Order: sequence, then structure tokens, then C-alpha cells
Amino acid sequence: MIPPHEFRLSHFQAMVIFALVVSVAFGFLSRRGSYQRARYILWSFILFLLIGVGIGWAMYPFSH
Amino acid sequence: MPDEVPISETSGAAVPVAQSSSPYVAPAGDHRRGDALALTIAAAAWFLPGLGHALLKMWGRALVCFSTVALLVILGAGMRGNIFSRSGEDAFAKLGYVADLGVGSFYFVARALETNGPDVSHANGDYGTRLLATAGVLNMLAALHAYEVTRARKA
Repeated sequence: MIPPHEFRLSHFQAMVIFALVVSVAFGFLSRRGSYQRARYILWSFILFLLIGVGIGWAMYPFSH
Repeated sequence: MPDEVPISETSGAAVPVAQSSSPYVAPAGDHRRGDALALTIAAAAWFLPGLGHALLKMWGRALVCFSTVALLVILGAGMRGNIFSRSGEDAFAKLGYVADLGVGSFYFVARALETNGPDVSHANGDYGTRLLATAGVLNMLAALHAYEVTRARKA
């Protein structure tokens, strides 16, 4: 039997992990060469975070 | 990275390399063999994340596919996300099942890890459901990439 492990993450932590993992996978699948990959990973990671936070702020007025 | 292998080397001698400028026209038998090989590689990539790229000797991509999908599955199951079953009652549950199936054999790993069952009454479980679906879709994308590489359409 595998012991249960529970992770408790905040919304922001979950978003950062999601953005990082997906960016790394996209970077490795779509680019060749370390420099190109690093650039793509960094760029898509930043965009994921900025767009996520942006959408969060855009929805803020509707929650009040 | 060690996976910087030319396409013609990764795809094997039996697979025709699509080059518009080349006068070589592959016989129909070669195309069929290439299709069968590409489908086998894609099925392997779907069944065990990273296996398709490993068979193509793209070690970096294989390692990244395996570790990213594994991390998302472990996190998603650990956050008690919903692992959809075949008996979904609405379209979203059915779509979720398709996405979850995308992780291949890791679907059963996720089920084994989630001994306490899903808990989507809290936001944490909801995020876990998304991470599990992301793992499935990411693995399907990787399997499609391995298929395209074998067909020599992609670098």
C-alpha cells in the first residue's frame, strides 16, 4: 500500500508550478539547443504568470 | 544536449525522410512501414511518458516528458484532484476522463496514489484536477511530437 501524501498549495503556488512545468515541457518539445530552449522557457513562464495574474485582476470587480 | 540527433538518424533507415528538394521518392511499402513505426512510437510515448522519445534516442526530451508528467500526476493526486472514471455522467466528466487517460499507465499510478479519494470541495482538490488533466494533455502532445518526429516532419 502506498502511503497517502497530501499537498496543500495556494492558488499562486499551484499556478507557478503549473507555469514552470508546462513551460519546461513546451521548451524542450518545440526548441532545439540549450540557449533557444532557455529563452523560450523563461519567456513562456513569464507570460503564463503575467496573463494568469492579469486575468485574476480582470475578474476582481465581478467578485465584489 | 545529447538529444541533438539529426532526424534521419533518429527515425531509422526504414523511415523515408520528407524532403521536397530530394529526387528520392519512397516506395509505398516504405511509407506503410514508416506509418506503422510512427504509430508504434506514438503508442509507446502515450503508454509510458518519455518512452517514445527514448526510443528515438532523444534522451533530453524523454527525461523531461517523463519527469514533467510524473510531477504533475504526483502533485495532482497528492492534492486530491478528481481522477475521472469511464462512468462520467456529463460531457465535462467524459472530457476529463479523456484528458486523464492521456497519461497512459500513469492513470493507474494516480489512482494508487490517491488512497483517500478525491476532494474537490476545497480549491486544493480543484487545482489537483487541473494538474492531472494537464499531465494527460501534455503527454498526448509529447506522443504527437514523437509521432511527427518519426514521420520526419518535425525537429
